[in-house]
Amino acid sequence: MAEIIIQNLHKQYRNGAYALNGINLKIERGQFFTLLGPNGAGKSTLIKILTTLLQPDQGSFTVAGLHPQSQLTAIRKTIGVALQENAFDPTEKPEASLVFQGRLYGLGKKESLHRAHELMELFGLLPEKNKKNDALSGGNKRKLHCAMALVHQPKVLFLDEPTVGLDPVARDNFWNIITQLNQEKNITVFITTQYLDEADQFASNMALIAEGKIQFAGSVNDFKNFVNPDKDSSLNDSYISYINKNFPQQKNTND
Amino acid sequence: MNTTAALLMNRGIKKLMKQPAAPLMGFAMSLFFLLVYNAGIGGIGSMTEFGTGGYLSFVFPITIISLSMGSSAGAGQTLNADMQSGYFRNLYLSPAPRWMLVMAPIIADTLSSMLFTILLIIIGAIAGVSFQFGFLSVLGILLLSTLWSVTLCGLSAGIMLRTGQHQSAAIITNAVFPLLFLSTTFLPRELITAEWLLTISWGNPVTYVLEANRHLLAGTSPAWYFFAALIICTVTSAVSVIFALNSAHKIKM
Repeated sequence: MAEIIIQNLHKQYRNGAYALNGINLKIERGQFFTLLGPNGAGKSTLIKILTTLLQPDQGSFTVAGLHPQSQLTAIRKTIGVALQENAFDPTEKPEASLVFQGRLYGLGKKESLHRAHELMELFGLLPEKNKKNDALSGGNKRKLHCAMALVHQPKVLFLDEPTVGLDPVARDNFWNIITQLNQEKNITVFITTQYLDEADQFASNMALIAEGKIQFAGSVNDFKNFVNPDKDSSLNDSYISYINKNFPQQKNTND
Repeated sequence: MNTTAALLMNRGIKKLMKQPAAPLMGFAMSLFFLLVYNAGIGGIGSMTEFGTGGYLSFVFPITIISLSMGSSAGAGQTLNADMQSGYFRNLYLSPAPRWMLVMAPIIADTLSSMLFTILLIIIGAIAGVSFQFGFLSVLGILLLSTLWSVTLCGLSAGIMLRTGQHQSAAIITNAVFPLLFLSTTFLPRELITAEWLLTISWGNPVTYVLEANRHLLAGTSPAWYFFAALIICTVTSAVSVIFALNSAHKIKM
């Protein structure tokens, strides 16, 4: 069953250029999906539209069968979002931030507190609970940012460059948590990442976006076979080969 | 009250309590005005134009108005802090209605302003300010100052949301500050000799709030000022809130 359905989505910049130019995509429930593409390809714009921060100029989408025009609040309750920039109140402490987040999403006081402790334990933030958010290390700030997206137990999780700023151990730990949620609770995970080795390891499906259009959509293995049918290459190598061949004007980054 | 609204408003109040500089400065400035004006030119209060309340009752309204101005900074500051830290985006993504995200700091700020106004009224009463209608005068003053606060808080929040500039509160304060002096601030209309100032004062909303307060205090101004001020402040606060709410849709995410 499709959890996210995107149909003919368009978004135009003020200068007339298209950020998204007719995006069509289906992401199945419980899929670990990664969106790849070079700088300015439209990844962040697409995530912002799917998370209701931006409105498309044309086209439509549904998340968990919900329509943004008529079921906006229901969509926001259904999704968890951690965008590129950390987003928490720097003057609060981790526990208070998580509890407030839970309350915002309609959880009761006790339930919010319980979830806050659960997530602090899961992300290794319990020793930091008496520090102000602003005083946390970069890695812990990132963990808190991601933990906040999970307080209300979303069905769909949008993570935009979630592991930027995390050390290798923290990154590994982070992906273990997300993979566990994906597998055990059947949460649909939609990520963008510049670490293609991570996408290669954890994502089952992907789409490649460039110049505002979906250039490829399918399984990660299909993409690798499509680019390099004769050899067993990594996603990173396949991606670079594909971009160099089809979009030589683009930088070979996946920012 | 809706749980989310209560939650957001509670947060707004807590934020103000954690960073009380703006309302405290407004309060200190008001007390300073009261002290300095009364000490400096309070002697003229024996003139018949000042009525039985003396100069203290005459100048007291200006301290109420300046208090609202000083504390109106808070709504913009709370929004600004949330936008600078990126937290506003998180709030924006939540199921909380967007109008609530804007109204919560405005209401929190207005409540804070009301609290300090009550404190100022108590100090005024102790210092000898007369209240012509007793408790009703106090209610009238609170009503007008609340509407005035909403006007300034809404403008401050709206400009903040549209520009993303934390100086928005200062812009409002600086823009409104001259209005305090282009009015019947220090002297009754009969004693002001500059025709241009009298002409401008008719178009200045502060004049009506000042005179309405004077009606409620020593009764030196006619009652119609109160009703005029009530209409003006209701309209300006409504326009200001609409401006702020409309600005919530102009934020670039």
